[in-house]
Amino acid sequence: MSAPVVGTDVPRVDGLEKVTGAAKYTADLKFPRLLHVAVVRSPHPHARVLDVKTEKAARMPGVRALASGRDFPLHTGIYLKDQTVFATDRVRFVGDPVAAVAAETPELAAEAAAQVHVEYEPLPPIFDVEEGFAEGAPLVHPDLGSYEVVPWIRPKAGTNVCNHLKIRKGDYAAALKGSWKVFENVFRVPQVQHVPMEPHVSVARVDLAGKVEVHSSAQSPFTVRHLLAHCFGLPHGDVRVHVPYVGGGFGGKAGINLEPIAVALAMRCRGRWVRLMVDRHEEFFATVVRQGLTATLVTGVDRHGKVQAQKMHYLWNCGGYGGYGVNIVRSAGYTCGGAYEFPNVEGDSIGVYTNRPVGSAYRGFGMQEIHWALEQQMDRVAVELGIDPAEFRLKNCLGAGKSTVTGQVLDEHAGRVDLCIRNVAKAIGFDADRERTPYRGKGIACAVKAPAMPNDAASSVIMKFAEDATLEILISGIDYGQGLMTVVAQFASEALDLPVEKIRVKGCPDTDLSPYDWQTVASRQTWATGNAVFRAASEIRGKLCATAAEALDVPAEELTLREGCVVHEATGRSLPFERLVMGYQFPDGHAIGGPVAAASSYLPEGLLFLDPETSQSAKPVAKWTFGAQAVEISVDPETGQVTVEKVAACYDVGKVVNPALIKGQTYGGIVQGLGTGTMEELVVDTKTGRATNASLMDYKIPSTEDVPAEMVVDFVETAQKDGPMGARGIGEHTMIPTPAAIANALWDACGVRISEMPVTAEKVWRALKAKERAERGEGVAGEAPVPAGTIA
Amino acid sequence: MKKTITLEVNGVAESAEVEVGQTLLRFLRDGLDLTGTKEGCNEGECGSCMVLLDGRPVNSCLVLAVEADGRTVTTVEGLSKEGVLHPLQKAFLSQAAVQCGFCTPGMVVSAAALLRENPTPTEDDVRKALAGNLCRCTGYKQIVDAVRDAAAAMRAGAEAGSDAGKPAEREEVPA
Amino acid sequence: MPVDLDYLAPSDVEDAVALRASRPSAAFLLGGTDLLPQMRSGRRSPETLIDLKRIAELHEIRENADGGLSIGAAVPLADVETHPLVLARFPLLAECAKTVGAWPLRQRATLAGNVCNASPAADTAVALLALDAVVNVASTTGRLAMAVSELFLGPGQTALMPGDLVTEVVLPGSAAGFRGSYQRLSRRKGMDLATVGVLVGKRDGARPSWRVALAAVAPTPLRVRAAEELLEAKGATAAREAAELAVAACRPITDLRGSAEYRREMVGVLVRRGVESLG
Repeated sequence: MSAPVVGTDVPRVDGLEKVTGAAKYTADLKFPRLLHVAVVRSPHPHARVLDVKTEKAARMPGVRALASGRDFPLHTGIYLKDQTVFATDRVRFVGDPVAAVAAETPELAAEAAAQVHVEYEPLPPIFDVEEGFAEGAPLVHPDLGSYEVVPWIRPKAGTNVCNHLKIRKGDYAAALKGSWKVFENVFRVPQVQHVPMEPHVSVARVDLAGKVEVHSSAQSPFTVRHLLAHCFGLPHGDVRVHVPYVGGGFGGKAGINLEPIAVALAMRCRGRWVRLMVDRHEEFFATVVRQGLTATLVTGVDRHGKVQAQKMHYLWNCGGYGGYGVNIVRSAGYTCGGAYEFPNVEGDSIGVYTNRPVGSAYRGFGMQEIHWALEQQMDRVAVELGIDPAEFRLKNCLGAGKSTVTGQVLDEHAGRVDLCIRNVAKAIGFDADRERTPYRGKGIACAVKAPAMPNDAASSVIMKFAEDATLEILISGIDYGQGLMTVVAQFASEALDLPVEKIRVKGCPDTDLSPYDWQTVASRQTWATGNAVFRAASEIRGKLCATAAEALDVPAEELTLREGCVVHEATGRSLPFERLVMGYQFPDGHAIGGPVAAASSYLPEGLLFLDPETSQSAKPVAKWTFGAQAVEISVDPETGQVTVEKVAACYDVGKVVNPALIKGQTYGGIVQGLGTGTMEELVVDTKTGRATNASLMDYKIPSTEDVPAEMVVDFVETAQKDGPMGARGIGEHTMIPTPAAIANALWDACGVRISEMPVTAEKVWRALKAKERAERGEGVAGEAPVPAGTIA
Repeated sequence: MKKTITLEVNGVAESAEVEVGQTLLRFLRDGLDLTGTKEGCNEGECGSCMVLLDGRPVNSCLVLAVEADGRTVTTVEGLSKEGVLHPLQKAFLSQAAVQCGFCTPGMVVSAAALLRENPTPTEDDVRKALAGNLCRCTGYKQIVDAVRDAAAAMRAGAEAGSDAGKPAEREEVPA
Repeated sequence: MPVDLDYLAPSDVEDAVALRASRPSAAFLLGGTDLLPQMRSGRRSPETLIDLKRIAELHEIRENADGGLSIGAAVPLADVETHPLVLARFPLLAECAKTVGAWPLRQRATLAGNVCNASPAADTAVALLALDAVVNVASTTGRLAMAVSELFLGPGQTALMPGDLVTEVVLPGSAAGFRGSYQRLSRRKGMDLATVGVLVGKRDGARPSWRVALAAVAPTPLRVRAAEELLEAKGATAAREAAELAVAACRPITDLRGSAEYRREMVGVLVRRGVESLG
């Protein structure tokens, strides 16, 4: 075997395309006589749709297609089918699509869209999740009980609850009663937006034979195909989805998004390509956002600082539709214990419809939100008990032999959060007796997540050789930055002892030609597609050796692969792949074998449904990735400005496949965590329902000048038993604990707690003022409310 | 209204009829099929549309094509010459400064302008110069490292007398 | 952008003024960094753009007899902030200019454009106000000079008449030599509008002069002469008092970037710090 490839800094295999500008993203693709789309969107957060008049618009110059709700009344949604292509009888958020126009130019489309006349009857809107949850609240989905839904999601008809997951482990009530001290706190997280650098865009054509073809910036070509086929009543084989390069997804391009509208219009102008692009403004409120959360936590501890009773009550602000969001409600529910063992648990994770933008998958899938609450709660308990926060975590954290909130007992392969905690505590200098400087502080937070996916979510891979023995690997996992294509090349290189230069990963899938993949979400691709790669490689190896064995007249078992050759060690004879991949020809002319190719897949094994009442399950998820971050901050006490000076991160990833790429994922996650933690919030005006900061001028994400001066990242490698070379996932985890770590550091620095994200200067300033007043005996310490309309 | 413009793009003389309201960004992407430059926000905030206009880094979404009449434009496609990568492009690859790649063309163009003006930038200089280029994937660290790496390579190349990555003269704005 | 949008690029000021006079629905175009987004959002809808960037005299930075500078309207901020004479004589202008947007934006944005846009948060306007700047204006009735202190009437509103063309911003020699700081609070360190902007300047001498000017805390950029006079009388030891005068003078609103209460307090903190650092 030559030098290992996995574990080294192999340069990105798609890097050259990207640095030269050669990489084509969806909006870069050229189509003949392309039509442009303008969408008619609801200006009301909640209203009945009485009438949609499109006749005038239809007669406008350049208009080639029009579609509205009554044309496509079928419901769609990945888990809960609560949304139609266009709103039919009701609109549920400002921006809800009501109709759309395809015309020869964007200007003509916009002019025609302005001539679509919609008659609305406004209904009382709900923006607040407690309001939506309260008895007697106006119903956002009165027909909730009639929607098609997968069996493991439980909407409550006649309410605004789109899902409710219950965790009941042990005897919470008794354990709470027997606790030495009890702590109850409420934490809040607003909606935020993914802000991918590439806004959503989809292009569709329905040809004269009725076949649908789509090019889309998407994370899940097969899910798009599946849901389009269902929505439009077509056989899957007549729907073709291409995904070119994708400029960031972060969950926002998972499931299905703009494609149904593009296809609906394309059906009305057969043979023409139709492109729907959202501009940055619409990207903020008319695609998808991350759900908001109000979390109430109750923790009962014993005298030794061990948590005995834990209650989590989550109200998720799902926005107008919850087709995807219901799974966040669920997976956050069964992960509500975070990185800790809680012996007695009462958990309720409840998704609530409101008339806000649509909450959907976002990097972390509920994890950053619940860790914001849980990690601050653990910190508060530790501080109150006088236990060092790192020690408290080590005392209560999960590990081999310990059980999660669903009763799953972890084994020694599960990943070592304890090592991660120790690692970051050391890296940040988190000693209990560390020197204290006023207004400087250190905070620590753990993270954990498992893929939230159906128990049968699979990935597959096709491998084939070109005549020059280049190995081509077809995948349908999307590399939208995380490095999947490179990881796949490394795995294949390692498995077949073939240099990476001889491998080409075809990572821009076409559902007609590429192998099935469930979705690129859930930090599952390295693991699932990786496993499929090793399986396919094994088949390839078998075929190469079988042909070579016959060619060399030796037993196949005596053959090995080395540097692109099949080698018979005993005699030193070998055959390069070039002589085998198209079959082998003997000296006398007769040929054996044939083009060498293999297809394989990976489906998670042994995953068991959660009990519907208690969510107990011995194996609810495929794998857990644990980690921790520690941060050091400084606070300007007069302005409240928080500077994150240093972040230390450590994750047990099972196997570091590519150090440079995994560091990049970690730096990027930390910075995205810093963004949501300190500066991001989608502000919705509760009088109009409109997002008031839907632009990059008003919604800020971190720039080069906002990055911590120092980021130190490290990894533990406790092999994942069923992972490719022991690897598990990391894509989402890197942003999970950052905001909580900052909030905990803030407490350490100056004794104030911010329980609602983001931690802004003004919030800190107000909290410090309130603290000062309390110390002077003038009022109650805690947070002072910030005027509505500000994020600060 | 349509106007005819003549300009040099990546060293090639181009002439075209454009709508007055068309941005330089759309002209490059739609008119010249130079799709390396990206449209991310159309309001000058994200930097994905960065090009060099007479050597200056500009948000091409805020420049009308007609304003570029008689000027020179360099896009990411113009940074590599016949398959030979610009030192910045090489450094972005070697430092793993690329993830989804959407911000990359703009980043590389801004960085190229920086290095033309300041061949020995500090980390702070790099951060300030790239503050108008947003990235959601990388956390910027490897990008900053790549720019400094490229700066060092270009200095070494210049000292060795090679032409590789030699900064071109910036054209002054015509009086 | 309207399909029938027209574009003209005259090569001298008089032509530009005449063109504009004959087209009431035209707008002058310099950097376009405010105008283009405003056109896209529908806030402004000119039918013709008159590009001033082909006018040679608007690109000059000239030293004047009084030791001051005339900065042509088309000079981008990036050139202002690095010009040796600006750095030598009016460093506060460079300090403020450097905070506008980001480096590529400043390759297009201009002082004249900032002034005409009249945002209450305009960082360069604060410096121009503090440095007694004057704008030279060309119109159909000839040329005249207008003090920047008379220019700003409200958010987005100036005392300029439709058709007025700002040809240059003039910094008088009498305002040379002020050093100090422009402190800015914003939601992030990178490109952002100021939540609060505070300029504090001092010119040493037998009787030191002071400048205190504020951005983003009133309908227009604000100069706090009362604070300046106090500091001239009592020196840097009056930092707190001066800060209180600044707080009293400002009229901030609550918006996305901050509440009025926070902004008011921050004016006090930053003015005090600005003065103390010059003490």
